[in-house]
Amino acid sequence: MLHVDNLSHQILKQVSFSLACDQNLTLLGNNGSGKTTLAKAICNLIHTDNVNVEGKKVTHLTSRERARYLNFVPAKLSIYDEYLTVFDYLKLNVVKDTPSTHPDTVLELLEISHLKNKQCQKLSSGESGLLLIAGAMIHQALYTIFDEPTANLDQAKKIRVYDLLKNSSCFHNKIIITHDLNLAYKLGYPILFLQEGRVHYHGECETFFEPNHLQKYFGKSVKNIEGNFVVNYDESF
Amino acid sequence: MKAFSLLLAIAIIFIAPFFGQIDLNFHDMLDKSSSSYLLFWELRIPRVTIAFFSGAILSLAGLVFQSLFRNPLTTPFTLGVASGATLGTAIAIVFFAGAVFWQYLFSFTGALLTVFILFLISRSLKTTQTNSLLLVGVALSFFYSAALMVLFFLSDFSQSYSIVRFTMGSLNIIGFDLVYPVCIASILLLSAIFFYRTELKLLLASLDFAFLKGIEVGRLTIMLLLLTSLATAVCVSIIGPIGFVGLIVPHIIKTLYQKSSDQLIFPTFFYGGVFLVLCDLIARNLGASSDIPIGVITSLVGGPFFIYLILHRNRTH
Repeated sequence: MLHVDNLSHQILKQVSFSLACDQNLTLLGNNGSGKTTLAKAICNLIHTDNVNVEGKKVTHLTSRERARYLNFVPAKLSIYDEYLTVFDYLKLNVVKDTPSTHPDTVLELLEISHLKNKQCQKLSSGESGLLLIAGAMIHQALYTIFDEPTANLDQAKKIRVYDLLKNSSCFHNKIIITHDLNLAYKLGYPILFLQEGRVHYHGECETFFEPNHLQKYFGKSVKNIEGNFVVNYDESF
Repeated sequence: MKAFSLLLAIAIIFIAPFFGQIDLNFHDMLDKSSSSYLLFWELRIPRVTIAFFSGAILSLAGLVFQSLFRNPLTTPFTLGVASGATLGTAIAIVFFAGAVFWQYLFSFTGALLTVFILFLISRSLKTTQTNSLLLVGVALSFFYSAALMVLFFLSDFSQSYSIVRFTMGSLNIIGFDLVYPVCIASILLLSAIFFYRTELKLLLASLDFAFLKGIEVGRLTIMLLLLTSLATAVCVSIIGPIGFVGLIVPHIIKTLYQKSSDQLIFPTFFYGGVFLVLCDLIARNLGASSDIPIGVITSLVGGPFFIYLILHRNRTH
């Protein structure tokens, strides 16, 4: 059980929600609405006492418990060590006392085995994105928060990652931050919509995607084409 | 290339004790009553040994500092440990003239006191403020330098010379008594860094990443820094603050090996030791009437080579 209780920090204002075991969540919101800040606060990358995981305040968890329960997959891979290879990076994702998948298996699943010995700093942004997901599959935290997991991927890779997010047994509970409404809709997880740091919607996916809600939160920038939610570029002028 | 470097390094270590201002008589080397025996076993071998382990400590400390601060210019001396040792030595020279024992004791106390001050300050800093600790170290160094200036004014000519001579570093030791602490400190440091190699690699990858994998980033960083400073303190209090070794050896090794830090621990330790043995070998054999201070040689050899490496590296990237 993950519980955020009246969290106010930086942009966030009185954010409260709970995530039961075996429940997932999609976190939506405009740029600067506080999605990443919320994710970091949950993982204790930002220090706050308002988050409880498995009945304990996140600040009171031991470092090993924290690693077992929580993982944050950032939008961009940022590695300082210029000689760290993809394989070494993946090995570093193994958390003690937690089951993990072998790096080779994960590389095959994501179809990036050819990058195994490449230096992380030399990956393209799309390859980095896949590596981050591969890392999370090895870490296997109880709650994994993905920050825009499909942002830099080509179409085929987007489908691959969607499939993994939806079906892989490596992820237990997921919180997925995205701007891709189509992904949010297809995943079908409950939606939490943030606007200027406040929770404006928390509920079922189907309800969120009803026309009146879409109109309320996105204006005319989104249109529904036979069950696919796409950006309405026609609105530009 | 690596095999060649290794063979060359081993050769340097083995030939180092045989060369110096006084030629050895090889026939007498096992005769305990001869001067060659004394020269070889009581002066040269301890000198080469202490050079090796000191170079190893300074280089490994450099690797750890550069990794933790993520700054290629930090060295084992950045936190003021060497300045503390120098001030301690100066106090001993001015107020306990002539007593070598007091020099070592004060020097080590100066370095240790600095580590202790850093420890106290680090407890009141937020765990992520590693750079603040760096600034505290720089401030301490300036404070010590000022205190050293005061001592210069209080000292006579020969005392001033002794203080300056200490700051240039010296490997002039007799017997093995002073070799043991340096040797033990270097082995302990090597073991500790090797034990924490995965954690070090995580920290070097990304601080947030390390945190998410269950590392107490601030606590681990400070512990490694203090441990490294302590080993440096032992070394500096005996041989003086020998500059440049901690700065250049990790860079040379990184350029040669092109691997992550965890795979550089042993090479840095070994080649750091060999580098100082080589510098000492040059210092003893330049033909001057007395040995050239080791610190002068490390900078003379290291400076141009370092610039060459940086230029070469920029060309290959």
